[in-house]
Amino acid sequence: MPSPEMLKLAEERAARYRAAIELKEPDRVPFTGMGGDVVAAYAGISSYEYCFDPEKSLQAIIKYLKDFPSDRPIGGMSGIGNAITQLAFLDYPDLTGLFAMVDGPTNDILGVDYIRFPGREVDEYSSPQFIGAEYMKADEYDELIADPVKFLFEKIVPRTTRNLRDLGSPAALATMARFGMHKARSGAFMQKQAAELLKLGYKSEPASFFLAPLDFISDNLRDTVNLVKDLRRYPDKVKAAAEALLEPMLKLALLGKNIGADMAFIPLHLNEYLSPKLYNEFYWPTLKEGILRMLQEGMKSQVFFEGWHDAHMESVLELPAGWGVGYFEKTDVRKAKKILKGHTCIMGGIDVGMVIASTPAKLDEYIKELLGEMMPGGGFILSPNIGNLPRETPIENIAAVYEAVEKYGKY
Amino acid sequence: MRDELLKSFVDMDEQEAVRIARELIETDGGAAAVLDTCKEAMEEVGRLFEAGEYFLSELIAAGDMFNQIMEFTLPKLQGGEVASIGTMVLGTVLGDVHNIGKDIFKVMAEASGINVIDIGIDLPHEKFVEAIKEHKPELVGMSCLITLGVDSMKRTIEVIREAGLRDDIKIIIGGGRVSQAVMEHVGADAWADDAARGVRLSKELLGKE
Ligand code: B12
Repeated sequence: MPSPEMLKLAEERAARYRAAIELKEPDRVPFTGMGGDVVAAYAGISSYEYCFDPEKSLQAIIKYLKDFPSDRPIGGMSGIGNAITQLAFLDYPDLTGLFAMVDGPTNDILGVDYIRFPGREVDEYSSPQFIGAEYMKADEYDELIADPVKFLFEKIVPRTTRNLRDLGSPAALATMARFGMHKARSGAFMQKQAAELLKLGYKSEPASFFLAPLDFISDNLRDTVNLVKDLRRYPDKVKAAAEALLEPMLKLALLGKNIGADMAFIPLHLNEYLSPKLYNEFYWPTLKEGILRMLQEGMKSQVFFEGWHDAHMESVLELPAGWGVGYFEKTDVRKAKKILKGHTCIMGGIDVGMVIASTPAKLDEYIKELLGEMMPGGGFILSPNIGNLPRETPIENIAAVYEAVEKYGKY
Repeated sequence: MRDELLKSFVDMDEQEAVRIARELIETDGGAAAVLDTCKEAMEEVGRLFEAGEYFLSELIAAGDMFNQIMEFTLPKLQGGEVASIGTMVLGTVLGDVHNIGKDIFKVMAEASGINVIDIGIDLPHEKFVEAIKEHKPELVGMSCLITLGVDSMKRTIEVIREAGLRDDIKIIIGGGRVSQAVMEHVGADAWADDAARGVRLSKELLGKE
């Protein structure tokens, strides 16, 4: 059982985060902490062990969080999202969630071609990887448009998932049975993990997931370069496909409400690729509609604007104030604040490249200046610009960041 | 006709550009004129990209057009007409499988006259060493889109040094996750997170600008 102090601490942390999302000034700047591959390295285990041995990974997380506490820690990378299979099983809401994250043992069972795990397809010390490919040909747009869920189940799942190649075969049925058995075990472990983390003052915060329909097509079906070319070669089909995917994607994200999620994570991929003209014509309409519809249903969004988002900043203002969190990677958070203050909660600020390559003294100075500019007025969550610190990250640099946040993070 | 090719290329009119190039190749300047004009067009596209008017979508389209046109142009060129200003071995470092940034930079570097040897993605350190020994380039380009690749670059450069090859080459790093700090950390000579700047710096390193 967690102590009353820890329960109180968990509430304080959650409240700090919530206040920032509501564009207010909390007692301290909410800090997500910095996780990633370094969590496993800090405990002296390989990424393979982290991904395949839940007990070891839990111990690694606990060790790291005891030394580096924060408000909403990210942890290490133990799996890869799998939107294809989730959408393919959309009509079975009790199952869709189980496909959300492919962990190591799950990938052994399913055999997903575009996912690689440490100690299996890649080196023991690499993190798990998503490798896209062209799984859908350009002449299949019509099929995708006609019935996305059916198309994904019948065509794409067998193409991408080795042990479900032949959907009606005994091999496929056995795969599904094994999958179910593993999920029962890992579900029980997740509950144990949540209880252990509560003892350290961390509530589990269920989150939902949404993808810009065009990103789904680009990452999972057509491949990025093909999609960018499709925009010029088959503009109408691409548009219709994005529209056809919107409803299934929304239904998937809103299923998160069943587990208490009130925030959807949306990582953007094509944003940096597209000119404002292409962005506004092909990408933004279905993304915006998704964000607005979720908001109507009580679910805010946390959009990860990957790469440079500078060219599309103004479009964010088309959303109602308080819509959610804008998490920035390369776009300067100071610049984002100038444009979005009082409208969007801004997240980011710590350049991971610096944490690797800089010194404790410089990092202290950097955090001090950053917080000095970003904290006033509230609506800011401090986080690294990327969720994954490499194994080799100097521990003294990590410590310097946490100490600086402690020193300069009080309102 | 050169002006028309230049204009349709820069305006991203793929069909027109390819059509005019096919015509031009049969007339006055021949293949050499097509090559020169396309190089000029790529340079202009790069300029527009650096100025924030063009985006990656346009760089990809331009690279695609350039490759399409070169496919029927290069075989028609006489040996001496494709002058190279230097050789670069280029690859994405160990642990990183992103290839798009590297591929875009490659076309633009080639269009500027650099002979680029693309050795692939997710490259073990030794692959760079082997390629340097084989091709004796003046430049080595490393592409890195993930932070995990920073340490790979550092190790690769160490391995190149251990092989006694570091002083023979200049190293330029590129890709979304590089910066001045990263360059200093890994011990490279230049860095660029956009292809147009990367081409400019590569030419400088070759002493060509
Ligand atoms: C498209 C994409 C993918 C595609 C890759 C498709 C492909 N075939 O390349 C897919 C979906 C497969 C993918 C997979 C993954 N990705 Co990815 N991906 C991206 C994304 C959205 C765009 C990258 C890109 O292509 N940019 C466009 C290119 C053109 O830009 P660029 O690299 O900067 O290149 C330009 C210049 O830098 C320069 N340049 C490039 N190379 C060179 C070289 C030299 C020598 C020079 C001079 C110049 C130069 O020229 C280019 C044109 O200007 C970025 C986010 C982002 N916007 O950056 C994430 C991103 C790079 N991915 C990321 C991650 C983590 C991954 C995965 C590891 C995820 C996972 N855990 O599975 C896997 C990859 C596995 C691996 N080990 O590599 C992270 C990296 C985080 C980090 N700092 O470590 C990013 C930043 C997303 C994020 N914010 O989290 N990804």
